Amino acid sequence: MDADSDVALDILITNVVCVFRTRCHLNLRKIALEGANVIYKRDVGKVLMKLRKPRITATIWSSGKVICTGATSEEEAKFGARRLARSLQKLGFQVIFTDFKVVNVLAVCNMPFEIRLPEFTKKNRPHASYEPELHPAVCYRMKTLRATLQIFSTGSITVTGPNVKAVATAVEQIYPFVFESRK
Amino acid sequence: GDRVIDVGSEWRTFSNDKATKDPSRVGDTQNPLLSDGDLSTMIGKGTGAASFDEFGNSKYQNRRTMSSSDRAMLNAFKEITNMADRINLPRNIVDRTNNLFKQVYEQKSLKGRSNDAIASACLYIACRQEGVPRTFKEICAVSRISKKEIGRCFKLILKALETSVDLITTGDFMSRFCSNLGLPKQVQMAATHIARKAVELDLVPGRSPISVAAAAIYMASQASAEKRTQKEIGDIAGVADVTIRQSYRLIYPRAPDLFPADFKFDTPVDKLPQL
Repeated sequence: MDADSDVALDILITNVVCVFRTRCHLNLRKIALEGANVIYKRDVGKVLMKLRKPRITATIWSSGKVICTGATSEEEAKFGARRLARSLQKLGFQVIFTDFKVVNVLAVCNMPFEIRLPEFTKKNRPHASYEPELHPAVCYRMKTLRATLQIFSTGSITVTGPNVKAVATAVEQIYPFVFESRK
Repeated sequence: GDRVIDVGSEWRTFSNDKATKDPSRVGDTQNPLLSDGDLSTMIGKGTGAASFDEFGNSKYQNRRTMSSSDRAMLNAFKEITNMADRINLPRNIVDRTNNLFKQVYEQKSLKGRSNDAIASACLYIACRQEGVPRTFKEICAVSRISKKEIGRCFKLILKALETSVDLITTGDFMSRFCSNLGLPKQVQMAATHIARKAVELDLVPGRSPISVAAAAIYMASQASAEKRTQKEIGDIAGVADVTIRQSYRLIYPRAPDLFPADFKFDTPVDKLPQL
């Protein structure tokens, strides 16, 4: 097989989702009234706070759990989460920044060739599932890495995984299979 | 001598005699394969005048709750039969669907999902497995469940039963769509050939096989005496007419190569509509 093991492909991380806890009860109403750039969703019981500097949207619950989305790297996610905790601290809550964890990473990768999806599906039977009526991409699940790849016929691949390393490994692992079914 | 229990029938039944009423049968013939063991008794509707009380209601109303453990399953079987009836599916597909449903139901991994959704998805899988797939939209048409939900249940069932299904091809739908449109065999064969060639030459990457089939039917019908509009084809196939237009634009440039060699053109290839 003439597929390289060292893949010089650009993997663009588009989204990193992380969670952390503030270890204290948060008064959502107070945050909604006094915080900057907040949206209060009273019916569901959460506050959305959008940060500009790392472009991040955080969903804050009154229990103190916070989910941060929109970061483009793991470090940025941590910066944004800390900045968010700081802004909550400034509002007067006794915030302790604990249990920071990156939950999901979404990355996009472009193959330099187009891919034949029916052929690819047949060769990778249990892992790949293709339903053209439902979605135009093949959904390839890697159980070991807990990563899911969506492979389109144009050659672009969307990967979601628990961290950046898993995503990179997933792309490396899928490359030879995808290379087999190229046009 | 010792007591011997004769397990044969109590009355002699002659083959011609009273074909409907067989006195040696007790209980229904219902398949014990699918239900849990149908040994319960039901109170029937009542025939004579004595079974009705003063107000015209029937005495002994309750058909005692039978096999309550699988009441939901029996309900689902009834629903499956109704759905299959609407699109005239043969008995073997219905049986396969029932079997699939039973397996899924016993596994309990999809317990939270609506039974109707699971039944519709089982019907879809059964059609696929029998080699005569129906599109999701066709199953949608006979079910109250949305396409999204059927699709979700479909994926869950495949995971739960650890099976997979073959990919759909354009040829699977040709005979059904063409006969619904009233197209002659020649046009159907031409459309099948066009679609197959288009997929082989990979002119339509990323397009659903249904859309490609619809575009092929459009091209074949426009080249023959039996022309059909995009709207009509879109109606039968469940595809939007813009989608047919898109796929048609992709196969139009290679039109002369796609037609079978022995096709009689009513409208020559260069006069085919260009959209």
